[in-house]
Amino acid sequence: MTTLRAFTCDDLFKFNNINLDPLTETYGIPFYLQYLAHWPEYFIVSEAPGGELMGYIMGKAEGSVAREEWHGHVTALSVAPEFRRLGLAAKLMEMLEEISERKGGFFVDLFVRVSNQVAVNMYKQLGYSVYRTVIEYYSASNGEPDEDAYDMRKALSRDTERKSIIPIPHPVRPEDIE
Amino acid sequence: MAARGHVQDPNDRRLRPIYDYLDNGNNKMAIQQADKLLKKHKDLHCAKVLKAIGLQRTGKQDEAFSLAQEVATLEPTDDNSLQALTILYREMHRPELVTKLYEAAVKKVPLSEEYHSHLFMAYARVGEYKKMQQAGMALYKTVPKNPYYFWSVMSLVMQAISAQDEKLAQTMFLPLAERMVEKMVKEEKIEAEAEVQLYFMILERLGKCVEALDMVRGPLGEKLTSELQSRENKCMMMYQRLQLWPECNALSYKLLLKNPDDWQFYLSYFDSLFHLMDKSWSPPNEEEHCVEGPVQTTVAEAVKFVVDRMEEEDKKESRPLRGPYMACLELIHRLRQRGCPDEQELGDPLELMLQFFGKFGDKPCCITDLKIYLHLLPPEQHTQFKNRLGELVPLGEVGEDGFGFPGDTKALQRHLCVCQLSRVLGLQRVLDTEGKLCLITELKAHYHYGLQFGKSCLKTELQFSDPYCLMVAHVYIDLWTETGDENMLWQCLGVLEEGLSFSPSNAQFKLLLLLLFCRLGAFQPVVDLYSSLDAKHVQHDTIGYLLTRYAGSLGQFAAASQSYNFSLRFFHSNQKDTSEYIIQAYKYGAFEKIPEFIAFRTRLNQSLHFAQVRTERMLLDLYTEADMELTEEHRRLSLEEESVWLKVRSLTLRLLASLALLGHAPSSRNSDKTNENGVSAKSSTLQTLLSQLDLTLQTAAQITEKQTQYPFLGPPSSRLATALSSGSCHCQASALQLSLTLQELETTGLDDSSELQTQICNSFKSLIVQLQELLSRCKGEVLEMKDSRLMTQPSLLETLVFFVETVCVVLWVASYSASVLRPLKSSLQKKKKKKKDSSTAMPVVLSGFQEWTGSLQGIVTQALDHVKGQEASLTALKLAALTLGVGHAQTQEECGFTRAAMDKVQTSYLGSLQELGDLLRKRADSLKSLKF
Repeated sequence: MTTLRAFTCDDLFKFNNINLDPLTETYGIPFYLQYLAHWPEYFIVSEAPGGELMGYIMGKAEGSVAREEWHGHVTALSVAPEFRRLGLAAKLMEMLEEISERKGGFFVDLFVRVSNQVAVNMYKQLGYSVYRTVIEYYSASNGEPDEDAYDMRKALSRDTERKSIIPIPHPVRPEDIE
Repeated sequence: MAARGHVQDPNDRRLRPIYDYLDNGNNKMAIQQADKLLKKHKDLHCAKVLKAIGLQRTGKQDEAFSLAQEVATLEPTDDNSLQALTILYREMHRPELVTKLYEAAVKKVPLSEEYHSHLFMAYARVGEYKKMQQAGMALYKTVPKNPYYFWSVMSLVMQAISAQDEKLAQTMFLPLAERMVEKMVKEEKIEAEAEVQLYFMILERLGKCVEALDMVRGPLGEKLTSELQSRENKCMMMYQRLQLWPECNALSYKLLLKNPDDWQFYLSYFDSLFHLMDKSWSPPNEEEHCVEGPVQTTVAEAVKFVVDRMEEEDKKESRPLRGPYMACLELIHRLRQRGCPDEQELGDPLELMLQFFGKFGDKPCCITDLKIYLHLLPPEQHTQFKNRLGELVPLGEVGEDGFGFPGDTKALQRHLCVCQLSRVLGLQRVLDTEGKLCLITELKAHYHYGLQFGKSCLKTELQFSDPYCLMVAHVYIDLWTETGDENMLWQCLGVLEEGLSFSPSNAQFKLLLLLLFCRLGAFQPVVDLYSSLDAKHVQHDTIGYLLTRYAGSLGQFAAASQSYNFSLRFFHSNQKDTSEYIIQAYKYGAFEKIPEFIAFRTRLNQSLHFAQVRTERMLLDLYTEADMELTEEHRRLSLEEESVWLKVRSLTLRLLASLALLGHAPSSRNSDKTNENGVSAKSSTLQTLLSQLDLTLQTAAQITEKQTQYPFLGPPSSRLATALSSGSCHCQASALQLSLTLQELETTGLDDSSELQTQICNSFKSLIVQLQELLSRCKGEVLEMKDSRLMTQPSLLETLVFFVETVCVVLWVASYSASVLRPLKSSLQKKKKKKKDSSTAMPVVLSGFQEWTGSLQGIVTQALDHVKGQEASLTALKLAALTLGVGHAQTQEECGFTRAAMDKVQTSYLGSLQELGDLLRKRADSLKSLKF
């Protein structure tokens, strides 16, 4: 049980317990402000009864409608260690999908590290499939090699024939994705 | 600069290479290319501006500025020049000049939508709300697009928010904004959701909640679709503000039926229920209670509602939701608060919590949930509760060591939860030393056993077993604080180092280690820990404050300045960054976010003063303990203490700065009147600052008298107490005071000033005594072995840092003294020559000064010897000779981790001593130049 509400600037002072996870990126302030200014409805945080932040999702809507590429995108999704295994990530994803449905998106997509098996499996359970592999999408900092990403997608009701999720067999480079 | 789309214009083609050079950071070539172009095309203004950008980026600000102004005064109207000037002004941090630029452009090209809109944004960047309002309207009149009109409306709202006079906001700005929106509503011109949002914002700020409600429920409200449950949330907000409890109750009820896990609506459901009961409210109409549907007004209905929700969950095949069960405990809590006997109908809290544990005990959050309602259990039930919980944990056969272990991760999580609960209930704390050591043995056994479940865990994942390790560390800390036995601390460090070796991503381990090393005064391992946390951006504020507190005070100056830089860079970039996104919020119509961004900017700007309070309670969250919570009182005291300390430091800084200015000023004795005035003005600054420092030190003394002890996991106490008790503050203050007396001597001269001279000589002597005392407080061993135990005295290190700081201040005053006395002495010699009189004795102040510099030299030498001695005895310590683990059953491996932690502390102490020694030697050199 949780209180779901809009993420606000002040939450940036309180999200350490979520963001100290090594796979969760802490971005510069401008990045968060950009999302808050442009897609505030897509930035949702969940709060425990004791006031602790449990997790959040940050996303956006983008792409051309004419080319049937208008879609919802998951930029960040993270849940604090003690609030995992509760289905919270699934709930937040459901909300993002609902918002994207309302905006008339064709699909929802996200990028995930190929090595992050826990996340990949969770997304699969939520109905996402690998659309393509993006080579060296994640640049590593401490001398380790760059890592590939899966671009995963789930069709929304507007894409009745589910064309948007037909996998592309060959991997692509980051500069080739839009 | 972004790539430019159209290349038809020949000027664009000519300018392109310069843009490319600038984009690639090749500023020199950009300047050369611009010069070349300007030779051929004198009137290509943009080239001048681009050259100015190159100059600005190579540090030639003045040249850049005057070049830019050459173009600006021509009031350019070509896109290239305007955009380039905008970029330049932004890089110069002169956003106000951009407004002038576009004001001129708009005058010359009054029909340009683009320039009008740039002008609006330029005003937004500097927060000129009134002008934004006008610019928005002018834009709308030029091009009647809705967003422009509402930019103007929002600017009125911002005038209201920023108005000093709330009355002005309520009677002028907001009503005007309201009328502007109403006009559009009447003309049926409302198009976008953002416009409705803004209308709601205005009505809400005006306190017109009824109107706001009508609007949200009416046709305009239908536009509120982006945010989920946007209309419901807004209605709820208004019901609460209007105290429309029937509607609030009915809506909460409906929303809970839809999502029985949304906690906020349980709270509003219970709130409204009790308000209705207190008012003995009854529905005016049996058929329809209120617009939101049926209203519940009795405890019986609420009990049934909650019980029904739980039964629904019980029936479900899928994962049950925690909300209804928690709501049941919340309802008991509220009924009990009201002294209502009906709580029994929901059942016994102990049984309910056991049921909750039965359902959710295998989730890591079970402890966070139950913790809130433990107060429902009377203390005499605590042990019973713990034992009954224990019965619900499936553990295997008890082995030789007397412990049974969980067979899988779910059982492990349950066992862990029981341990955590008994800690929160204070059952661990009451154990005696022997009991606590037994507990540690048990927890360690569970920790090691549980590691097998995480063998396949990735480096980035946490071990299931980690919380055991953390708890062991906390029990060690309990033992250390209770008994003062430092072995407990070393073992604590060892167990955390071990934990980190199995779970390298565990931030809790790192933070606790960081805190412990800080308290031990060993800063080097702290730097590594902090960097492995990979703290970035806002985290330099919310976590970095721990570092900045300790770095300087422990004599690790290089590390200190690095960590200060991280934080400062973050704070500096904030101002520019936020303005950019305020503008974006206008563009995208996220009007609600604009005041939020501005408040955020303000908060960050004030951060240094409010660091402690505002800071994340990260460390507190490490492990929550019922009897160790940080109280509001602690928070307030810590803020007060930090603020006073900040004031002491900034006053000292300002005093030193004005002293430096005085030292460089030409001697005033032979100069003209204006100069004398100048000096006396400066000396009065010195006087004012000194009396402020004096007052602040008095306040500081009152604060430290309270001797506030913060809990171990609370905020670090400031350096204030040590600064005062070591005598460092007073020594620095009297040194600075001396500079004022010297100033007086400078004006009086050597003749007829024997009293003043004696006073100065006394100050010289007194400073030596004070420094001697301060140094004697540094004596002792910062790390030593006693009876095969390793003992630390980190406070010696902190005092030594204060000594070095104080020596620096005194030496600064000494060099100022020399600059005052030298001219006095030479004029005396001239006089002597004239009179051919060699019999007069040297004035007291001059001989006193000679003696003083000699004594200072002596003290610095003593201090250097002390540092050398400390270094030698630290190096001589053979930690390997320590026999660890005696009596505490530490395994060979565990001893290894403890030893590693000890090594880190030893190395860090050595590093600090070396840096302090280097600094002292450097300052000692400056003494030589003081002789005359």
